[in-house]
Amino acid sequence: MIDTYKRLMNLEEPPPAKKAKGFFTDTSLCIGCKACEVACKQWNQLPADGFAITGNSYDNTGHLGATTWRHVQFIEQAKANGTRQEQRWLMMSDVCKHCANAACLEACPTGALIRTEYDTVYVQQDICNGCGFCVPACPFGVIDRAPKHGQFEAGTAHKCTLCYDRLKDDMTPACAKSCPTASIQFGDVDELRARARQRLGELRERGESKARLYGMPEGKEAVEVGPLHAFFLLLDEPKAYNLPEVPRLPRKTMAQRYGWSAAVGVGFALIGALVFGGRR
Amino acid sequence: MISNLLSARQNLPPPLTGEGGGGGQGYYDYPVVRRPVWTWEVPTYFWLGGMAAGAYVTASLAQNFGSADDRRAAAGGYYVAAAALMPCAPLLIADLGRPDRFHHMLRIFKPLSPMNLGAWTLTAFTPVAFARGASHAASTGLLRGPLVALARLVPNRLAELAGSVLGLTLAGYSGVLLAATNIPLWAKSKLLGGLFMASALSSGSAAVTLQAARRGVPDATLHRLATLESAASLGEMALVTGYLVQSGKTARPLTTGRFAAPFWLGAVGAGTLLPLVLHLFARRRNGRGLRSLSTAAAVCSVAGSLALRWTIFEAGKDSSRDQEASFDLSGTSDSAG
Repeated sequence: MIDTYKRLMNLEEPPPAKKAKGFFTDTSLCIGCKACEVACKQWNQLPADGFAITGNSYDNTGHLGATTWRHVQFIEQAKANGTRQEQRWLMMSDVCKHCANAACLEACPTGALIRTEYDTVYVQQDICNGCGFCVPACPFGVIDRAPKHGQFEAGTAHKCTLCYDRLKDDMTPACAKSCPTASIQFGDVDELRARARQRLGELRERGESKARLYGMPEGKEAVEVGPLHAFFLLLDEPKAYNLPEVPRLPRKTMAQRYGWSAAVGVGFALIGALVFGGRR
Repeated sequence: MISNLLSARQNLPPPLTGEGGGGGQGYYDYPVVRRPVWTWEVPTYFWLGGMAAGAYVTASLAQNFGSADDRRAAAGGYYVAAAALMPCAPLLIADLGRPDRFHHMLRIFKPLSPMNLGAWTLTAFTPVAFARGASHAASTGLLRGPLVALARLVPNRLAELAGSVLGLTLAGYSGVLLAATNIPLWAKSKLLGGLFMASALSSGSAAVTLQAARRGVPDATLHRLATLESAASLGEMALVTGYLVQSGKTARPLTTGRFAAPFWLGAVGAGTLLPLVLHLFARRRNGRGLRSLSTAAAVCSVAGSLALRWTIFEAGKDSSRDQEASFDLSGTSDSAG
């Protein structure tokens, strides 16, 4: 019966699970060259977003979006009359976090958003109908819908695929491949986590007291969305990088919200029965 | 080419203005979350779908618990429900990025996603409401021709029960859908689902009154409908108060600025306060006076319901730009409290 259903629906067996792949983005090594942004655009054939000057340091990209899957932030921490150590220029290449409990994936009503065999989150372009629910669901503001009448994959949702096509051929994602300082490291998530812990230890020893990891299983940020498969070594509080301290997973509070909704509905039905009642 | 570049520029966040980077809080004044891409079709659908559901439930309550007059008067609610449901699916489809793939909503059943639950509920509720409406039309002689035989086959009791459950789901999921995001204005309070439910029920029962008052029904029935509407409006008022209290500073894009007037005067004033006052005046009146007051209250309630959905929806888009509210939502704001 199930076999017949699968044959009729043309369902394939899912590919066998592979080791979880991800990114470790070590912002202490980032020099802000934006090679990752360019390599990502080239490999994934994403159109340019136009030339605009934001006036905010060298960040003229602004944010991640439907056609921008890597975004280098330039955080200028300058204090008037501060010491040399207090003048900092932090750089960070932001990307989709490929959350273990992804809000976008849970929101998706069509099943277009899936978890791949590499434990990454991927939008199937032939399924997505552009309902737009994943866009406000993401706590990091990553995924976006391409404009309805645009030139590029119009009307569907887009974000980093962790170069799913390259992974299939055992290749490194374009951004990590192009990174000249190994700020973006690609590999098995387990191995990357061990490497990140070691690197954090080194930096702490050197006196980088504010250095921290963001997206590790033991972190506060993993409480709701789970460990991030693209995680970061930061040199300041997450907020400085526009990262939420405890990214929210909407599912966690949904039952309570449905509860209030149901209580109002049942209350109305009871009052209605009383108001009309006894007059038959 | 040039116009492409200019339009791309508009996609960037506004340049930094005033004090540097929001007092060292986040990354310049850039938003943490993306701006919702939905347009006017969505709040319009929430309004119409909610009203349809409220009217259907009110009609079914009168049908099962009311007097013969109540039943005759309220049965018009089935027509209201069917009429309000007609534009719903087209509105939702028009809002999709790929309208040609609307049926992908139904390729899986995934109630965890409020969007999927809503699509299934609308798909199920629409034919039930139409069938119950057709059955009533057949019984009053409004429906003629070969369809009458078919309409007489509709199991009314079952349609009323199933339709009420589906209707309440339709009225109740929309606020939860908005709340199941990371947009501060939608997600901060626990009560948005309940508020939209109350708004749906008050506007739906008002729509039943509207058609009943026009057709001239006994005063006792109008009084009973007014009591039910008032209960819904009172609930709506309590919920909107709770919603604003729980939202705190996050509600600023709604309560101040460009949406302040439509929200306070339209959603709160016309939507809840005015109908309550009008119903209070109508309590001791009969005949034409009662009908005029009931009609006025119902029009206010229906219009206020649209104002509520529209202002909360649009102000939510502005709220997505509120970096401080985003940090507050994820429990990090230094300025909270």
